[in-house]
Amino acid sequence: MAGICCGVVGETEPAAPVDSTSRASLRRRLDLLPSIKIVADSAVAPPLENCRKRQKRETVVLSTLPGNLDLDSNVRSENKKARSAVTNSNSVTEAESFFSDVPKIGTTSVCGRRRDMEDAVSIHPSFLQRNSENHHFYGVFDGHGCSHVAEKCRERLHDIVKKEVEVMASDEWTETMVKSFQKMDKEVSQRECNLVVNGATRSMKNSCRCELQSPQCDAVGSTAVVSVVTPEKIIVSNCGDSRAVLCRNGVAIPLSVDHKPDRPDELIRIQQAGGRVIYWDGARVLGVLAMSRAIGDNYLKPYVIPDPEVTVTDRTDEDECLILASDGLWDVVPNETACGVARMCLRGAGAGDDSDAAHNACSDAALLLTKLALARQSSDNVSVVVVDLRKRRNNQASS
Amino acid sequence: MEANGIENLTNPNQEREFIRRHHKHELVDNQCSSTLVKHINAPVHIVWSLVRRFDQPQKYKPFISRCVVKGNMEIGTVREVDVKSGLPATRSTERLELLDDNEHILSIRIVGGDHRLKNYSSIISLHPETIEGRIGTLVIESFVVDVPEGNTKDETCYFVEALIKCNLKSLADISERLAVQDTTESRV
Repeated sequence: MAGICCGVVGETEPAAPVDSTSRASLRRRLDLLPSIKIVADSAVAPPLENCRKRQKRETVVLSTLPGNLDLDSNVRSENKKARSAVTNSNSVTEAESFFSDVPKIGTTSVCGRRRDMEDAVSIHPSFLQRNSENHHFYGVFDGHGCSHVAEKCRERLHDIVKKEVEVMASDEWTETMVKSFQKMDKEVSQRECNLVVNGATRSMKNSCRCELQSPQCDAVGSTAVVSVVTPEKIIVSNCGDSRAVLCRNGVAIPLSVDHKPDRPDELIRIQQAGGRVIYWDGARVLGVLAMSRAIGDNYLKPYVIPDPEVTVTDRTDEDECLILASDGLWDVVPNETACGVARMCLRGAGAGDDSDAAHNACSDAALLLTKLALARQSSDNVSVVVVDLRKRRNNQASS
Repeated sequence: MEANGIENLTNPNQEREFIRRHHKHELVDNQCSSTLVKHINAPVHIVWSLVRRFDQPQKYKPFISRCVVKGNMEIGTVREVDVKSGLPATRSTERLELLDDNEHILSIRIVGGDHRLKNYSSIISLHPETIEGRIGTLVIESFVVDVPEGNTKDETCYFVEALIKCNLKSLADISERLAVQDTTESRV
């Protein structure tokens, strides 16, 4: 596989705003790891025109979807006024308020050693405002069987969650997220049936190789690990074996628990539903699927269900970052190691209000974690999202 | 099921006779075997048009993403099958053992791949029947395979049966949809 690092490796950025020693050291580490091809979303519209100069200096930004969004947010913050949203399919749909508290993020999503890319990442800062608080949505979806279920989750889940939260009674997050995931699962199933019934809808973008016939789609599914971040809380909803980990004062705190078929409570649930877990290259439902919960996979229902497990965690001043990633990372990198890598990158940037440095740090963290996973022979797609949770000085008044 | 329905289905004796004639497997120690039956509301020629495609099993098998065949469609031809992600395999090499267009029988043997199904051999046969007064197809699929180290015969049969059940359900769904299209087009 040809290596393309979009200028990250080996490139010296002009006027780097961070300590050159630690930056050079970080670059050296990055150089030692194998090159990888970063999958960028080609559908993303180019940044605003007044970002052109910034574009030249921050090549990393252009290689990642959320970087573009983050760049927009930076500009809005600097202008200290509300602006209309950028018009593209992944843009923020609501006007920013003054003193935006949008967290800085970095993300990578690579095919790695697998034959096809079936992961998807969804980043929607400020996707919802509620009780005068900005809510941010981050999701990682690891598809199997094909990519279209994961892609559908990327396109739709944040909007489903938004609609559910808007009618949510006081902070019933668990119920709201369970309902959202179930709607996503139902939508995934129904869409495919519609495709069969109405030939005209076949014209929808055909990015996957399925012949989009209902029986084929029954054997396609995806994990979904989703985080909604508010000024006060981190809500994580997980279905499958992707994972969310909070880095708090150097300690890795898992905010999700993998849904493996041999997890004792999952094993019991599957057996009570009439299914069976067989060890066939690991524990698998019916010997077939290596996770006990997923969006889609109709042929394995009711053994494989789309219900998420939800955790709600209060934010603290000691929170450093949140890492969402597919099992392509977690299978080969322990929580503590991932936490340490991300922490190292964030420390290099410092916790000041220099948002460019913080952004680069998150991107570096995501990229470094991805390279580490590939270096450790991960055999799967790898998708990583790193969210900077540190309270920035100029936003203290709003938090 | 109504009495009429019962009378119109192939009776158990007929099924046993089909199995006896077409689904012989020679078992050795540490192998397991099983036979599955599926009733499909579609005529044999439609179901067979899908089953006989040794070169394109992905037409009805939901776990296959791609298939490459080198050479002609004759006994001994080998196909390289790519398996979809999420399953405990990525590829399988399979040999065509029998393709009988008159009796509607297909037999394959797995000869390689990165899965745990060693010495796997399967036979699938189609038989016309009447289901509730309408022309249908009785599908019988049988297999034999080594029991891998670490698993029991029961587990191995359960796993393979789960895969075959998915294949047969998909075969039924697609065949029945094609049959409906056939009927619609013939009325126009």
